[in-house]
Amino acid sequence: MSRPGFVLEVDERTPALLVHEGEGFRLERFPLGTRVVYPPESLPGIADVDAEIRRALLNPHGIEPLPELLFPGMRLTIVFDDLSLPLPQMRTPDIRQRVIEHVLELAARAGVDDVELLAANALHRRMTPAELKRTVGERVFRAFFPKHLRNHDAEDRANLVHLGTTAHGEDVEINRRAAESDLIVYVNITLTAMSGGPKSVAVGLASYKSLRHHHNVHTLRHSRSFNDPPNSAMHHSYNRMAALLEKHVKIFTIETTLNNDTFPSYVNFLNKREWEWTLADQARYLAVKRANDMAPPRLRRQMWQKTVAPYGVTGINAGLPSEVHPLTLANVHRQQLTEVNGQADIGIWGLPYICPYNVNSIMNPILVMSLGLGYFFNLYRNAPIVRKGGVGIFYHPMPNEFHPVHHPSYIDFFEEVLAETTDPVQIETKYEEQFATDPWYTHLYRSSYAYHGVHPFYMWYWGAHALEHLGDVIFVGADRATARRLGFRVASTLADALEMARDTVGSSPSITYLHAPPLVMADVR
Amino acid sequence: MKIVDEIRLLTRGRDWRGRARTPRSAEPWRLPTEPREFPTRWARTPLARAAREGIRRGLLKPVTWSQTRPVVEGVEYLDTLQGPAIFIANHASHLDAPLILGSLPARYARTLAVGAAADYFFDARWRAVASALVFNAFPIERHGSRRMRSLAPTLLDKGWSLLLFPEGTRSQDGWMHTFRMGAAQLACSRGVPVVPIALRGTYSAMPRGRNWPRPGRPTVVVRYGRPLHPAEGEGTRAFNERLVTAVSRLWAEEEMGWYRSLRAEADGTLKLPTGPSGSSWRRIWEATRPLAEDQSDRIWP
Repeated sequence: MSRPGFVLEVDERTPALLVHEGEGFRLERFPLGTRVVYPPESLPGIADVDAEIRRALLNPHGIEPLPELLFPGMRLTIVFDDLSLPLPQMRTPDIRQRVIEHVLELAARAGVDDVELLAANALHRRMTPAELKRTVGERVFRAFFPKHLRNHDAEDRANLVHLGTTAHGEDVEINRRAAESDLIVYVNITLTAMSGGPKSVAVGLASYKSLRHHHNVHTLRHSRSFNDPPNSAMHHSYNRMAALLEKHVKIFTIETTLNNDTFPSYVNFLNKREWEWTLADQARYLAVKRANDMAPPRLRRQMWQKTVAPYGVTGINAGLPSEVHPLTLANVHRQQLTEVNGQADIGIWGLPYICPYNVNSIMNPILVMSLGLGYFFNLYRNAPIVRKGGVGIFYHPMPNEFHPVHHPSYIDFFEEVLAETTDPVQIETKYEEQFATDPWYTHLYRSSYAYHGVHPFYMWYWGAHALEHLGDVIFVGADRATARRLGFRVASTLADALEMARDTVGSSPSITYLHAPPLVMADVR
Repeated sequence: MKIVDEIRLLTRGRDWRGRARTPRSAEPWRLPTEPREFPTRWARTPLARAAREGIRRGLLKPVTWSQTRPVVEGVEYLDTLQGPAIFIANHASHLDAPLILGSLPARYARTLAVGAAADYFFDARWRAVASALVFNAFPIERHGSRRMRSLAPTLLDKGWSLLLFPEGTRSQDGWMHTFRMGAAQLACSRGVPVVPIALRGTYSAMPRGRNWPRPGRPTVVVRYGRPLHPAEGEGTRAFNERLVTAVSRLWAEEEMGWYRSLRAEADGTLKLPTGPSGSSWRRIWEATRPLAEDQSDRIWP
C-alpha cells in the first residue's frame, strides 16, 4: 500500500533534505519549521498492461468499442504525444508503443489500409527517426516510417485546415490529414494535470494561428493554475476548441497515467524520504554525487539524459476525450496531490535537469525559467504555495548554454529580447510576431530539429503568472550574469537567499519547499 | 563541497548505523516495521552452548548474585524431574531470567531455552545476537501480527526445556497479571510438566526503565514449586488456572509461610497477587515494599 503525500515540518530530528539543481543535487538543511511537501509514494503499476489496454479499447467511455469504429477503406490517423512526455523518458517499451500496437492489430483485423501515424509535436522540434523508433517501437517504425509515420508540421500551409472559429473568435486550425480522417486515435500520456483531454488534438496538431489564442500572457496570467483545468483560462480555451473539433472529426482517445517511479534503482534514494535512507542509500548518494560532481559537463549531461524512468502505468482509459479525461485526472491526482494548509511567505523549488523541451538536449536559461516559474510554480490547486508578493527561491546552476540546433530562436531571444526587457506583455506585443514569422526559424523548424521561432516566447509567458505573483525571485547557485539577464537575483547559499528575502518578507518568514521530483501537486487550502 | 563536509552533512542527525529518527510530523506516515525473522539455531550448536555455559557460570550468575541477595527455595522439587519441562514465572524485571538461570540445577540450565518477545529482543540485530547467545532466547510473537510459526513445540520435541513468562511482558507495577494460555496449551498438547516459579522483590530491585539493579544488594526470592502435570482430559483453561494458583501460592508463601499458604489454597481463600485496587502509585508503593527480613527464628538475637 503506497503512503499518501504529506507535509513535513522540519524539526531538530529532520536530516538534511535532498534538493535537485539541474544536472545534480545536494542535501540542504532547512530552517526549523520549514514545511516540505512530499508527493504520495509511487502507486503500484498495473501488472498486465496489455490486458488493460485491450480492456480499455473494447470498453471505451462514451463511444463504441474501437473494433466497431474501424472499417475497410477508412482513413485512420493515429496521433501520439511527442518527445516532451513523459519526463524523464520511460523505459522501453514505451506505453505509447504498446497502445499503438494494439490499435494497429485491431485496424489490421478490420482491413484498414490507410493508416497514418503523427507525432503531436505542435511547435516543438521534430522528433528524430531514432526518437520516433524509441517511442513507437521497432515493428511500427519499420512498417510506417518515413512516409506514414511523421511529425506534425505546423508551418506546412498546404497540410493545415482551418475548421472555424469558436464563439470567442479563436481559430481552430489543425493538421489536414487528421482533420480529414474518418477517425483519429489519440495515444496520450498524462504526466501532469495540464496534459491530455481537450489539449491533445487541439494543441498537439495545431498551428501558430491557433495556438496564439491560448499561449499568450493574458491567458496564462488567468490560468491559476494551468495544472488545474477548471481554473485555467488556457484550458477553457482548449475546451472551446475541442468542442468545435468534435463537430468535424471523430476522436477516440486513449489516455494513460504513470506512477512516481521517476528514477531508476541505482539512484533510488531520489525516490525516497531522506530519514528512511538506509546506509546503502547514503553510500549511493555519496558515490553518485561525487561521481556526478567530478564528471566532465558533457558526460554528466549524457548520463542524465540517458536516465530512463521505470514508470509503472496506473491507468488506461479510452473513449471520448471529454469522458475519459476526468478519469485520467483522478489518476493523476491520486498519484500527485498533497494537501497543504495555507500559503507561505517563501516558496522553494529544486529544479531538476529536465523539462519538456530539453529531452536529449540542453536546458537553457529560458527553459530553466519556464520550468521553475512555469511548471513547478504552477504545480498547485486553489492557490500557489507562496503568497502574493512572497519570494520564490529556486535551485539551478543556470549555465549560459544553448543547443544551437534545437533552440536557435532561444539564443536570439536571450541576446536580443531579454537584453531589452523581461516584461512578458512588452515582449509579447513588441517581438512575438517578428519571431513567429521569421522565415529562417520557420525553415529550421520544418527541415531541421529546431523549436519554432515563437517557442521561447511561450516559455516566457509560461512564467508570466509567477512573475506577477512573486515579489522577488532568487536563484541559488545560478550563473550571475545569466540570471541577471533574466531579471532574477542570485544567492550562493540558501542562507544568503533567505537573508536577501528579508527585504521582501521580513525576518521570520514561513517557508514551504516543494519536494519534487517525483512530481507533487500542492492542493493549497 | 569537500567529501568530508558532504559526509558531515549526510550523517548529521543520523546514528552510527545511518538511521535517522523520524521527524515528528512524519510519524503518522512511518513505515510499519516488520520484526525481522532472526535465526536462533546457531545458538543451540555445541560451540554456542559451551560459550553460554561459560557466560552463565563466569559472568551472569556472579554478577547477578553480587548485585542482589537471592534467596532460592524449592530447587529440590526438580530432583526427580525427568526430560524437558516448561518453567513458568511471574515477570517484573530483566533480573528474572538471570535469577532463574543462576538458580536452576545445571542439567536444566544447560538445556533451557527462554521465550523472548520478538518485537523487543529481536528487533535489533545486536540485541537478538546477545539474547540468543546468553539466554538461548527464541522469539515469541506477542501481538500475533506476523503469524510466525512458534519454535516452542519444536524445541520441546528436541529435548529443550523452556522458560516462559505467561504474562507476556514485564509487569508495569510489580504485581501479577493475567496468564496467557500459551504455556498451558503447550504443556497439554505435548504432555510435559510445568514447574511454577514465583519471583519476589525483582520489581523492587530492578523495575522497568532500570538497566542495572539498584544499589544495596536488594533481597530477591526465587521460589520453585512442585512440577505440575496436565491431568488426563484436563482442558487448557483448567490447567492454566492451576498454574496461576500455583504461582500465586508460591508468591503468598513470602508473607504467609509455606503451611498457611497451603491451607489458604485448600480453603479457597488464597488471593491472587494482583495488588491493592486504587491508584497506580499505591500499587507501585506496595510492590516496592522491601521484603521482610525473617527474624522470628533467629537464634542469636
